[in-house]
Amino acid sequence: MRIGIKELLRQPGRFASVGVALTVLVVLLVVLGGFLDGLELNQTGPYRAHEGRLLVFSEQSENLIQRSELDQAQSAQLAEVDGVAAVGGLDQIESTASASDGEIVDIVLFGYDLATDVIPSPPTEGAVVDGALADRNGVAVGDTLVIGPSSEPVIVDAVVDDLSQGSPTVWVSTDRWREIVEAGNPAALPPTGVNQALVIEPASGAALDELAAELSDLADVTAVTAGEAIDALPVVQQQSATFEAIIGLTFVVTLLVVALFFALITLERVGLYAVLKALGAGTKDLMAGISAQAVCVSVVALLLGFGLSVVFVDLLPADLPVRLVPSRLAQIAVGVVVTALIGSLFSLRRVLRIDPAEAIG
Amino acid sequence: MPALEMSQVRKVYGSDDQQVVALHDVDLTVDDDEMLILVGPSGSGKTTLLTVAGALLRPTSGSIKVGGTEITDLDDRQLARFRRDQVGFVFQSVNLVPFLTARENLLVVRQFGDAKVDARAKKRADQLLDELGLGGRGHSLPSQLSGGQKQRVAIGRALMNEPPLVLVDEPTSALDSELGKQVMDLLRREIKDRGVSAIVVTHDERVLDYGDRRVRIVDGILSSAPDAAAAGATSHP
Repeated sequence: MRIGIKELLRQPGRFASVGVALTVLVVLLVVLGGFLDGLELNQTGPYRAHEGRLLVFSEQSENLIQRSELDQAQSAQLAEVDGVAAVGGLDQIESTASASDGEIVDIVLFGYDLATDVIPSPPTEGAVVDGALADRNGVAVGDTLVIGPSSEPVIVDAVVDDLSQGSPTVWVSTDRWREIVEAGNPAALPPTGVNQALVIEPASGAALDELAAELSDLADVTAVTAGEAIDALPVVQQQSATFEAIIGLTFVVTLLVVALFFALITLERVGLYAVLKALGAGTKDLMAGISAQAVCVSVVALLLGFGLSVVFVDLLPADLPVRLVPSRLAQIAVGVVVTALIGSLFSLRRVLRIDPAEAIG
Repeated sequence: MPALEMSQVRKVYGSDDQQVVALHDVDLTVDDDEMLILVGPSGSGKTTLLTVAGALLRPTSGSIKVGGTEITDLDDRQLARFRRDQVGFVFQSVNLVPFLTARENLLVVRQFGDAKVDARAKKRADQLLDELGLGGRGHSLPSQLSGGQKQRVAIGRALMNEPPLVLVDEPTSALDSELGKQVMDLLRREIKDRGVSAIVVTHDERVLDYGDRRVRIVDGILSSAPDAAAAGATSHP
């Protein structure tokens, strides 16, 4: 292994081609992952705002809020289960809002009852707006928004993090939500006492997974965590499937690049490896050197690639939904190193066939 | 106990109609502290004999004992360990690792398997380099060394693991007369000082007098060289 590392240090030029190729692939992986995460985060703000809570949907809804309806009886039944601290409604409708500048923007209007770690308790009359609306349209606390075709006015009571669901989100109390929907789109209003979904605030110390299972045992409801609700969103599934396929393909290309490079370099080194075998090196010793080189090259490519990706993403227009998430970078780092390691092992067959007698000729 | 005992060793290349017999039931014994010169024309089988004796090739039949150990029974991993610990090689084309310094080329044989580059190994490498007149060139890469210096590094590498048997292939083929003499003087001195055995394969007439004994090989058959005792060499064609 030391021999391989020394070759890398003393003849870095030999590894420049694979290093450059891997760096470009790392940039591609980071940007693709950034788009995937950016798009997902852009679509799932309301669900992420309920992390640490459970979301309950009607059983046939496939955990999609727009297909779900739950009545008061079900809400009361859920509230009686041990481990449930509070039950609140959650409703949504796509709408529009215009601020003082008169620009009309698409929004998703949410009605809710329970505060979370991200959203404060629902204001009696006013609205909570997310950071996307505040940043893009200059909306601030105290501004009046005009919601929907009936131009229902709401005063901005608070601004919270970006909780976009494709469009910026505006949060009002359930009662105010019903008033606005009834005024602008009465056909979409659920019957009195019915919510599209329910939010469960667990009692202190209650295990979310166990509580979700217990609640799901009740008739006609499904309780899921915020993460599971996100996974059920068709838009998330489609985006994830598409981007993960591209990312997977990029890893395959990475594997082929590493495998091809080390296969070629092994061909070049047949004479040297024969000498080392003649001197007592085993196939394991030689493969350890090759793999160490592949891992080192991939680590350097990762460092360069991450740096270049940060610069590249910074140069992209601000409205492009690219987000560099540490967990994604960690996945890419592990994936690239493991892929490089596996790619280097493709040389094993060739190394095994090297005859130490070739050293003498 | 002899350093090397080859008994009825036969090596055949190819199969069926294409068979070429490179070694004809060779019997050869090399005693401890003996330097044997193996001479013969090109294609006579001298390199094959060296290769088989050094466990780089398995014989088709026969027995080979090095230091009393039968090596024809060893598997590939055991053979690699055997080559590392029991045999020193000096190759015709030197074959130093191009990106390692002279000192690292000596230590390279300590980096395989369970061997370690410890303080003792480093001290031995430095000592060998001093003895070989390369004390100041330990940190030079092969590309910075002359042909003779490279050959000396190769000799040091062969002696690094203190093997009982050293196999030397055409040590002077790429050197001029003066350099060839220097290298052979050095090789004999180093081998004799350490009491190890050696087989030196050559077709260079200048090298013949450096050995304790000469053996000639022609068409895979050993015979005593005309002016050598060659008591240990017979063949069975």
